[in-house]
Amino acid sequence: MTTNDEVDEERRCFLRRATATVGGIGLAAASIPFVSYWLPSADTEAAGAPVEVDLTPIKPAQQLTIVWRGKPIWVIRRTPEMLANLPKLNHLLRDPSSDVDQQPPYAKNLYRSIKPEFFVAIGICTHLGCIPTYRPDVGSVSPTWLGGFYCPCHGSLYDLAGRVFQGVPAPKNLEIPPYGYINDNRIIVGAHQAPAQTKTT
Amino acid sequence: MKYFFIFLIFIFANVSLAQEEIPIALEKVQINLSDTQSLSRGAKFFATNCMVCHTLIYMRYNKIAEDAGVLYDKMPINVKTWPNGVKPPDLSLEASRRGSNWIYTYLHSFYIDKKRPNGVSNLLVPTTAMPGIPSIFQGQQIRVPIDQDKRIYLWKYQWYDLLALQTPGTMTPEQFDATMTDLVNFLTYASEPYKVQQERLGWWVIGFLLILFIFVYLLKREYWKDVERSRLS
Amino acid sequence: MENFLKKINVIAWIENRYPLREFWYKHLTHYYAARNFNFWYYFGSFSLLVLLNQIVTGIWLAMEYTPTGEEAFNSVQHIMRDVHYGWLIRFMHTTGASAFFVVVYLHMYRALIYGSYKFPRELLWLIGMTIYITLLAEAFTGYVLPWGQMSYWGAEVITSFASAIPFIGDDIEVWLRGDYSISTVTLHRFFSLHVTAIPMVLLLLVFIHLVALHYVGSNNPDGIDIDHEHQTPDDVPFQPYYTIKDLVGAVVFLIVFFSVIFFMPAMGGLFLEAENFTPANPLQTPPEISPVWYMTPYYAILRAIPNKLLGLIAMASAIGLMFILPWLDRSRVRSIRYKGMLSKIAIVVFVISFIGLGYLGIHSVSPLRTTMARVFAIGYFAFFLLMPFYTRYEKTKPLPEHITK
Repeated sequence: MTTNDEVDEERRCFLRRATATVGGIGLAAASIPFVSYWLPSADTEAAGAPVEVDLTPIKPAQQLTIVWRGKPIWVIRRTPEMLANLPKLNHLLRDPSSDVDQQPPYAKNLYRSIKPEFFVAIGICTHLGCIPTYRPDVGSVSPTWLGGFYCPCHGSLYDLAGRVFQGVPAPKNLEIPPYGYINDNRIIVGAHQAPAQTKTT
Repeated sequence: MKYFFIFLIFIFANVSLAQEEIPIALEKVQINLSDTQSLSRGAKFFATNCMVCHTLIYMRYNKIAEDAGVLYDKMPINVKTWPNGVKPPDLSLEASRRGSNWIYTYLHSFYIDKKRPNGVSNLLVPTTAMPGIPSIFQGQQIRVPIDQDKRIYLWKYQWYDLLALQTPGTMTPEQFDATMTDLVNFLTYASEPYKVQQERLGWWVIGFLLILFIFVYLLKREYWKDVERSRLS
Repeated sequence: MENFLKKINVIAWIENRYPLREFWYKHLTHYYAARNFNFWYYFGSFSLLVLLNQIVTGIWLAMEYTPTGEEAFNSVQHIMRDVHYGWLIRFMHTTGASAFFVVVYLHMYRALIYGSYKFPRELLWLIGMTIYITLLAEAFTGYVLPWGQMSYWGAEVITSFASAIPFIGDDIEVWLRGDYSISTVTLHRFFSLHVTAIPMVLLLLVFIHLVALHYVGSNNPDGIDIDHEHQTPDDVPFQPYYTIKDLVGAVVFLIVFFSVIFFMPAMGGLFLEAENFTPANPLQTPPEISPVWYMTPYYAILRAIPNKLLGLIAMASAIGLMFILPWLDRSRVRSIRYKGMLSKIAIVVFVISFIGLGYLGIHSVSPLRTTMARVFAIGYFAFFLLMPFYTRYEKTKPLPEHITK
């Protein structure tokens, strides 16, 4: 009974800390639904499903742009001359052998594609997100230009395999999305290979 | 005071009784949203028998229809003209709106009524525009006269007090009950697809709050000793 | 590094530029409240908690909601089905709306029984009543947003109130709706009011309500004066005693609140009405329409009177009378504990009438119910209109010198 008039400071301190800890855990857990709410919703995710592309209508040197997850995806049928020019540029590029992880393993080669003829890339400049223009004609950007992409926003330059030149603001090569061949004339963009069932665009 | 409350109860009881001529009790259906097999049986039944007319617009892509092989151009969402000009309702939220028991009872309560344009009536919706699709499985039912003696003892009638099977359908009554349970289970899922997650998460949250309560309560008791022992002032 | 931190002592730096400590001192550690606060004194802090919940979940809902007639209903289903935890955030908001009125009604009832509206707290009461009216507006505009049948027809009925105003009523009705009937235009403006204007007014009013409270001090169940600026045997400092006590209450409140959210969010059709699961249809009125439960007492009064304008006047004065409560009560004492028998009977009659009206307002009309609604309406109005007489002439008990247990 003698302790009645004294405050048990130790017990108070313990209870304060315990309550704050448990309450803090609760607040942290309560933030999970609010944070998850900002993730792409189930219908957005479903709308971001892989898309199929028919390659037959694309003529040599022509560019086809499709949309996957709201991003422009380029499919370009490169001519043998275009492909022959690619190795000549190696000494002018930042990352000629695609060492930076900007492509699936099967596109880590000189042409940055599965089959050299068809180039598939996400058409977004790695500098600040503008869409570069397709400039296939030799000499169209500069007298020594062998064909490639030119970004109008800040002048970044890429070759026809989406490899970035030295001395421009863009830091990395263009990103190659996951894609795969369903048969010789059809590819699927957004997945490495065709799933059992996909929607046709 | 006591009589006043009895009077109140009497009045309120009367108020709720005076609603309909023949009060129909809703039969309770055993819903289990975690029973995925029941859900898929219900979905299959819905796609093959109901989706000819009814949509489930909030179930994405009408995936059930695809899985069950319903042709897209035959799906109700693409049909513009309906017999009698009545568009069958979308059923995405039917279980939230009417309740599972209501749907279950409704599906059981079709009977032959020659006065109606579609030849059938329903105990819950006498002017229903829906044809007697459930009767194919359940069998044709006819309305039987109300047993006046039962009226005294029963608060409300069950649908089977008022209907009798005339010609059997493709299912036995047990099979039909089981199939309708699956179907209602599926429709309940379609209305509230989050329900399983909701209840599971609920136990965690309440459990956590009970633990938190122990701590804050002990903290409060510790501090309020000051007040009880007049340590203050 | 340590020396550097000591040197700039963040608290001191702020303290020299902002009265942080003074605020803490004046409003928490040295704000004194009577030591005998009971159950009824939790509901003020609960309403702050619910307000916070409504603001946060409301901001989140507005991120995925589309305020057009075409898309509103769909976007709510999108939140419920596709957005991660969207159902949880929405149920927190819908349950919060009803919880807001539960706690506010109990908070008001507390003021009623302990005379917290009497001198010197008349203005505090008036500000509180203004909060209540603002809250009704906020709840109404919010109820329209899901754009179900009840949303639509609720908006139709309530905006029709304006048409009862003589001469210019019809023009005001069209002006309110921005169209000749309730439409996507109306929905859009209600959305704007619901998420910006009314919440801002609400926050401002809550702030001045608290300022007024701390200026005159909190009342207590005995309704006697205590010194809220100094420690006496009658009172305790708000911090830590009442902050911790309210924390215990808040956890209990959250247990009840989340039980509803997770296990019965529709509350049998009281919090989420069955008809509102059908998209708005301007060509078909649902078989039964009634407002949400917290507005039904007034709705029952409106229906009990067989004249459009008079019904609206009766409904408005039912709320209006609450504003002048401080001047209707002529008693020498504040708390019901020391008031006479007549006041106690009056409170019982009032509570039965209010709940009775609320019950009748939910259900459809019948001759018997209309009669009952009239009886309850008389009970409701008698409580206020006879108050100057029964409070003045009844015998009160002597007030204690100090706070009782």
